[in-house]
Amino acid sequence: MAADSDCTVSALRKERRQDAYYWRFLVTALSFAAFGAGAAIVSLLLLPLVRVLPTSPACRRERARAVIRGALRLFIELMSRLRGLHYEFRGRERLGRPGQLIVANHPTLIDVVFLLAFVPGAGCVVKQGLSRNPLTRRALALAEYITNEPTPAMIEAAASALRDDQTLIIFPEGTRTRPDAPPVFHRGAANVALRSARVLTPVYIHCEPATLAKTEPWYRIPRRRPRFTLEVGRDWDLEPYRQAPLPRASRALNADLQAHFRAHVGLRVRPESAS
Amino acid sequence: MLSHDEVLDRIRDSLVELFELDPGAITPAARLYEDLEIDSIDVVDLMDEVQRHTGSKVTPEDFRSVRTVGHLIDVMQRLLRDADASA
Repeated sequence: MAADSDCTVSALRKERRQDAYYWRFLVTALSFAAFGAGAAIVSLLLLPLVRVLPTSPACRRERARAVIRGALRLFIELMSRLRGLHYEFRGRERLGRPGQLIVANHPTLIDVVFLLAFVPGAGCVVKQGLSRNPLTRRALALAEYITNEPTPAMIEAAASALRDDQTLIIFPEGTRTRPDAPPVFHRGAANVALRSARVLTPVYIHCEPATLAKTEPWYRIPRRRPRFTLEVGRDWDLEPYRQAPLPRASRALNADLQAHFRAHVGLRVRPESAS
Repeated sequence: MLSHDEVLDRIRDSLVELFELDPGAITPAARLYEDLEIDSIDVVDLMDEVQRHTGSKVTPEDFRSVRTVGHLIDVMQRLLRDADASA
């Protein structure tokens, strides 16, 4: 492929709409509608049930997470069985251990959906906006997900979830970054990891061609069927970092994680025409 | 009870150890974020450090108005005074 960007753009325009383009468009629209309907059923019907059934707070949290996980799994299966997307999740049996911090890059809107759908009993650091959305607000509270404000309270909540032997998912980028830019990691995840994670496990997420990226509206679907690959990496040894005082250690870990992910996922996506 | 300067010395030692800062840069007027590049995540670590020095529980409330090293000295002195008073 020529490096000249004009050439790339024109090649991109010329690529045929394939893999049942119009069907996939329909599936995409249906999926967004199904997600809204599913969220309504979960938060208006299932979670209120979880809330009123008498049990311990920890068990209530686990039930809420199980409900959310089931619903999201159903959503993923809906999209993939209807052939709106294709996915492959390698090594997921190594996710969901006690005190495990799962760190993933964040190329698309549905990365968190994949991880919450497949990791049993996991907590998650999620976008602040979800705590203001009436459909998701109560789900967040009941499942004890943590919102990503860069405050002492967030660090403390995340660190204490790990200390409590929960599994926790964090996207250190905080938000989706542009698909053509390398990931930039914020230090909160590294700080939380060094405070109390028993183990840190990276998950590399690829989506090719790019879809549901921050810069795209939902209806601009890719010309080919998107393929999601989620790959669980090797556990990261945190002990060497723990020799230094936390501020320095977390800077070092964050820099290493960011470099590692950049090497692993590169620019994450190539233009649609590149294969 | 530690004097203002004694508290400043302790804070200086801590900041140099934690953040590898130049000791000369740590004056009461130095702003944590703008001058010393200590951000909101570092503040959590700084709270732990102040807790270690004063032996009393430090809350985000105590740190709400802390912008400079001088404010940090005030907070530490207040916490030390409270600890003395209750001892």
